[in-house]
Amino acid sequence: MENNDRLQEATKIIAEMNKDSDLNRVEEMIKENKITFSYEEKQYRVRVLNIREKEELDGLRRKKFGQLMQDKDILLEKDLIKVYKERGIDIDKIDAEIKKLETHNDSLYLKCGEAISKNESETILKSYRDQIYEIDMIKIPIFNAQKTLLLEFSLENQLLNYVAMIITYLSLDILEDGIWKRLFSTFEEFQNYNNEELINKAGSYSMLLQYKI
Amino acid sequence: MKVYSQLRCLAKSTQFQNLFAASKEIFGIKLFRNSFDFSNIQMIFLNYLYMYDSIMRDIATENISKEVLSDEIYEDAYMLYKKENRNKTVKDNKNTIRNFHLVPAQKMIFPKKSK
Repeated sequence: MENNDRLQEATKIIAEMNKDSDLNRVEEMIKENKITFSYEEKQYRVRVLNIREKEELDGLRRKKFGQLMQDKDILLEKDLIKVYKERGIDIDKIDAEIKKLETHNDSLYLKCGEAISKNESETILKSYRDQIYEIDMIKIPIFNAQKTLLLEFSLENQLLNYVAMIITYLSLDILEDGIWKRLFSTFEEFQNYNNEELINKAGSYSMLLQYKI
Repeated sequence: MKVYSQLRCLAKSTQFQNLFAASKEIFGIKLFRNSFDFSNIQMIFLNYLYMYDSIMRDIATENISKEVLSDEIYEDAYMLYKKENRNKTVKDNKNTIRNFHLVPAQKMIFPKKSK
């Protein structure tokens, strides 16, 4: 019994330490405006793009947009929606469902906020919270996931994925002999790189840092 | 723990709330190493700092109980309600001002000149 208690206490302390360490990492990320991480015993970082890199990003994005527009097999989102409709899949209906849920959720948020400002009981607050949580975390994400899957191959989404790739390519640095340098010197080098895990990790970090593009 | 929850956790910490208050009052105290070119995550963090500053003030003036800080949904709900209420008050005030005439001549009826 005593051992069990000690084990539980140790688990709690470890969880608390992990939480602190995560918070320290995020604090560092905010202050420094860079995200440093280790992968297979090497140090990497992603950072905000400088002016020259932003220009390179813009040039590549425009070039890709031109290519995608010329490709007749790639449809714009609105055209893809039409094709789906002809095949009996109504994306506008999914949008309407999402809108309906969001409106309902907004009214629940307002009621909950009013209850808080009137210092209402925990039972009332909890009931609002549970309803909001269900809509925010379960219902809306299901519809959003459906829509994302259906529109995955639209021109807009392909362009967005491409931009995310370029940002990762431009912002990923490696620490070598105490000096930070770009991991990839050309986009071709990045495209031929075979460590998908590292790229995905760097990609998700670089998206956190960048401006809305 | 997700990044946004971690950002909120830091933004409501006494350390960052004090730093935030001091950075508004004292020149030279900085929240970030950079003073321009803010990244997406820094902008989100700044929003959270303002949000928790507002909530903490309302708790300090006993407008609301500190239980609001026990759940992110309560925090968002309270802020949304507060914003809606403020918008409503501003709208009501505007209407009152619109019905109030500072220039009496607008409502004055002058007697007609007798022929």
